[in-house]
Amino acid sequence: MSWKRICASSDVPENTVKKFAVDDFNVIVVKSGEEFRVYPPMCPHMEESLDETAIIEGQTLTCSKHLWGWDVLTGQMQGLAERDLLSYETKCEDGDVMANIEAELLYEYGKEDDDDDDDFFD
Amino acid sequence: MPAKNHKQWKVPAFEQGDYVDSRIYSDQAIFDEEMEKIFKQVWIPVCHESEVPEAYDFRTTSIAKEPIIVVRGPDNEVRAFLNVCPHRGMRLERRTAGNFIEGQPSGNPKHMTCMFHAWQFDMKGNCVDIPRAKEGYQERLTKEDVGLRRLRCEVRFGGFIWVTLNDKVEQKLETWADGAFECIRSAIDTEPLEVFHYHKAIIDSNYKLWHDTNSEFYHDYMHYHNRVTGFNDEYFARTNKGFKNGHVNVNSFTVQYGEFELGESREDLSFPGFPPNQWYMIDLFPGMNFNLRGSALRCDIVTPLGPNQVMIEFRGLGLKSDSEKDRQTRIEHHNSIWGPFGRNLHEDLLGITGQGASMQTGSEPRRILHGRHENNLIHDEVGMRHFYTEWSKWMGRNPSDPMNEQNESLKGMAAE
Repeated sequence: MSWKRICASSDVPENTVKKFAVDDFNVIVVKSGEEFRVYPPMCPHMEESLDETAIIEGQTLTCSKHLWGWDVLTGQMQGLAERDLLSYETKCEDGDVMANIEAELLYEYGKEDDDDDDDFFD
Repeated sequence: MPAKNHKQWKVPAFEQGDYVDSRIYSDQAIFDEEMEKIFKQVWIPVCHESEVPEAYDFRTTSIAKEPIIVVRGPDNEVRAFLNVCPHRGMRLERRTAGNFIEGQPSGNPKHMTCMFHAWQFDMKGNCVDIPRAKEGYQERLTKEDVGLRRLRCEVRFGGFIWVTLNDKVEQKLETWADGAFECIRSAIDTEPLEVFHYHKAIIDSNYKLWHDTNSEFYHDYMHYHNRVTGFNDEYFARTNKGFKNGHVNVNSFTVQYGEFELGESREDLSFPGFPPNQWYMIDLFPGMNFNLRGSALRCDIVTPLGPNQVMIEFRGLGLKSDSEKDRQTRIEHHNSIWGPFGRNLHEDLLGITGQGASMQTGSEPRRILHGRHENNLIHDEVGMRHFYTEWSKWMGRNPSDPMNEQNESLKGMAAE
């Protein structure tokens, strides 16, 4: 576990989603009110990059592709979503957004079945 | 005999089989029947594996006006599907070729997405997401109930990707080809090939006229290059050989490339196990051509669009392992003969566009002669006759008398 600087708090305007590199992977930072949160960048539904697809309205962050939504501060699913967002512990310190990162958080997506289907037509 | 009126012109000088009725090239009903009875039933090459080299690569095409998509899965298997969404019947993918790893504005990474309502499919054709499915379909329809229409697909004969719309096709591709590829098998199957040239042309002519041209060498009189590099004893000893299912090949001879004033010998570059400067030709029913000439393999794939319109896709192939220099040499050799500005291809196209101009839908029916017999040697027209024997089996029509009216007409003439 170590706290890492992600960005300056001024880099993320209210109700926006911004993507930043940390170590060798990406995270997104969202700002709601005076609070910041750091999440993995991908939508847990279909691997969309949320910095391109997400909209924040009120307390809800929504992926515009298929309208999965979450509480912007807790990552808890709402509406059509079927999975919570994973999240990094976040704090703001001396004007920087910091995240407590042990390893990159990744979603598991539906694996393609690996059945041998050579005999599909037999 | 001098010029003739139409009735005289139609009197067969030959036995049936040595001529065909021009309406097989121009009649809309016959064309529609060919799509149903032939093109939807047999194996058709649609592209080459080197055109979908990476996982999630795809290419779209069509067979008998049915849209087709070929994709390479993350398991490296190439699969083919109808390029049609099972929801509202929309064409699924609009691009000619590309890769599904990157998401599209209306599609998601690693999936085929119908942009209309965002239904999602994986590379095996499984439906993996229907937006707001429960809200609209409750439990009446789930993603497990739908999926893409998968098609039989094989990668074979130098790495070409073959598809058939016929789930119940009687023969595997290898059996169906009946040894027609054996003459160049080691050349094209020893190591992977790669497409280095692609162009396509839409020609106002019937697809069979193109295949006829590929199946007879008598028209070398049109090809200056072929005459000066070819017309010798060895050339006139070349033979046509028929295989089951309508396929033909023409065996090789040594082309004298140096005899062409702008040419040079091509003996330094060939294919594995293939002697230099050789030239084999394989004509596959119902209209595909594989042409191995010295240092380059050419493949023509026809997509009939109407009785008097055909799309021909021309590919040139070398070895995937080619050095940069060898590849460049293959490209130059290929293009000098078969490129759009080559010595040979456009002459063949002049031949069939001239035929297309005279055989449009509604043109006066006439006889087209396929009657040269010369012990199967190079200028024998047995290749075309072999093709039409097969065509006749699938169509249930006699190409010499496709409307089954000759007996009637002969009776009429006898009465006059």
